[in-house]
Amino acid sequence: MLTGAAALVLSGCAGVLRSHDSEMSVTLQSAMSGQVDKALEILESNNKFDKNFLYFLEKGELLRLKGAYAESRDAWLSADEFVRQWEEEAKHSPEKLLGNIGAVLINDKTRRYDGADYEKVALAARLALDHAVLGDWDNARIEVRKMHEREAVIAEFRAREVEKLKEQAEAKNIRTQVEDLKGYPVELLNSREVTGLRNSYQSAFGHYLAGFVYEVSGEPGLAAAGYRQAIELRPDVPMLKQALAGLDRRVRRPNPKFTDTLIVAESGKVPALKSVTIPIPVPGPHGFQFVPTSFPTIDSIQSGAVPTALRLENGKSVDLHGVTSFDSMARRELRDNLPGIIVRGTLRAIAKGAMQQAVARNDNTGFAGLLMMAANFVTESADERMWRSLPGQVALGRALLPPGKHTAELMTSHGPRRVEFEVKGPYSIVVLRTSELGNVFVAQAVTPEIAQAKFVEPKPEPARGKRVKPAAKPVTAAPSKS
Amino acid sequence: MKLRLIALAGLCALATGCATNSPIVGGNVQYGDAKAVETVTNEFGSTDLQMMAEAMTRSMLQSRVITRAKERPLITVADVKNKTGEYIDTRAITNSIRTQLLKSGDVRFVTDIADMKAQTDELARQNQSGLYKKSTTAKMGRMVGAQYRLEGEITSIVKRTSDIKDVYYKLSMILTDIESGTIEWAEEKDIRKTSRR
Repeated sequence: MLTGAAALVLSGCAGVLRSHDSEMSVTLQSAMSGQVDKALEILESNNKFDKNFLYFLEKGELLRLKGAYAESRDAWLSADEFVRQWEEEAKHSPEKLLGNIGAVLINDKTRRYDGADYEKVALAARLALDHAVLGDWDNARIEVRKMHEREAVIAEFRAREVEKLKEQAEAKNIRTQVEDLKGYPVELLNSREVTGLRNSYQSAFGHYLAGFVYEVSGEPGLAAAGYRQAIELRPDVPMLKQALAGLDRRVRRPNPKFTDTLIVAESGKVPALKSVTIPIPVPGPHGFQFVPTSFPTIDSIQSGAVPTALRLENGKSVDLHGVTSFDSMARRELRDNLPGIIVRGTLRAIAKGAMQQAVARNDNTGFAGLLMMAANFVTESADERMWRSLPGQVALGRALLPPGKHTAELMTSHGPRRVEFEVKGPYSIVVLRTSELGNVFVAQAVTPEIAQAKFVEPKPEPARGKRVKPAAKPVTAAPSKS
Repeated sequence: MKLRLIALAGLCALATGCATNSPIVGGNVQYGDAKAVETVTNEFGSTDLQMMAEAMTRSMLQSRVITRAKERPLITVADVKNKTGEYIDTRAITNSIRTQLLKSGDVRFVTDIADMKAQTDELARQNQSGLYKKSTTAKMGRMVGAQYRLEGEITSIVKRTSDIKDVYYKLSMILTDIESGTIEWAEEKDIRKTSRR
């Protein structure tokens, strides 16, 4: 019977052995080099039979890079259904979610992936951006409202989870702390940027965007709250304070000759989660024994630097200010979740150790014991699932621009990149995304009929000391089918 | 005997069902009293909105500027400014106060800044589109200026420890005579809410 259990553990783990990180590394390499269609093909082939939450998150991002905003919005709305289900459970039956804390025998990957807290909130913000680019400010407003309401649900749920976790650890006499994980790279989670965050899910970018959308909707009361929250999250960024200071004047006396334009400059991508195996002490029949257990850690490579400015055709510059780092938020999420991961890992190690000993006692051939060890070895891998195509950093800039087409140079760490975009109406949002390869993707707030993405080819790095020349002329990608 | 018991249980269920004010609609959904005190969280909620709007309306209607006016005063209202860090729909507060004041019949309101564009667009459409019979169109230049300006702001102080959250809200409103610039009425309403984890 125990042999059967071991075989079951080994055979039933096809999904557990899947690596989202490996799959997405290839996909993102294609996307960031400008081959977004190929990236979408890879994503589809990897998810033929399992259209899950992560699939829709990644698909929405890739479609956005392609300039297919309506399709991107639809993919993200599908992802949003998963979050809304989680929200319902968190609000009305949290015990269902909290009951999962220690109930993992094989691997954390067997848990339903509900998304990191910052991903749930970022999804609403990115949906708002898609709606805004499609000219649908009413639905953008719905999304930003959903965003801050979601933050309240998360805050309430996490507070309950911490209490439940304490109970669980005390009941099972688990005293392992992060510091006990010898060899765990804890320094990757302890930088000032990570510990200085209020939590893992609230961002100055999200709240500034909420303020902007409420301002567009003519609701200065709500806009003020958005800007004020952004200031509280990043008091060191003057641009955020200016938005609040000028709010009444802008609402009372809008300038009809100009388009109030929000530039959202995104760069890099979030660091990947990796699995490390560390022996942890677990209580056994003969005292404590060390059992190798896997824990997630995070890539040490920081995501790319944010663009510093957008130089317009008239020589004027719009300064861009780094306001949010999804890189740091991903680290903070892992830091906050580690106590829970340690409890689950320890419970798993205890259960696996007990099973292994039981098999050894009842098996004369030694075959079942070997099989059990092999099963434990193969399935012991940390949960590395995450929204990999999310940008690492977000910078914001705001300017009054004359309506119409603009040609500008984006000052990136790879040198200046030429971009073209169009603004119209009283308010516009232009989203620029730079990749670590130096490519720039442009999403501009225009009407759905002409919504399109511009992809800018990178130029070779200029030699040191030489004058920087503008990048090559932009190449217009195929219009979206929206 | 068994049948009698079942019948009795059925009657009890019916009786209790009739007694409740919140008819069950389906599943776990039920209608509740919109005026009932809401204490789900200690963030700004429906009860706070209603309490503040009612307190402001009552105070203003009892003020000399309203009670001693020869004609119903003409007022323009600006959205209550949100000076909290919370997403409070201050337009809902403004609208509640305006609605209750209007329902009293003691004051009148002119179009406020938020609705001015819609008002001027409609005037322009009637007068400039050529689609309307001249005798039925609203004439340009006949809008009436307000005598008073009603405005206010809501602020909050939030304090929290690991298990207590204390929130203090204060709504302040003033009514200013537009011609003289004198403040004719002012009122404050504060609310304090404390919750424990």
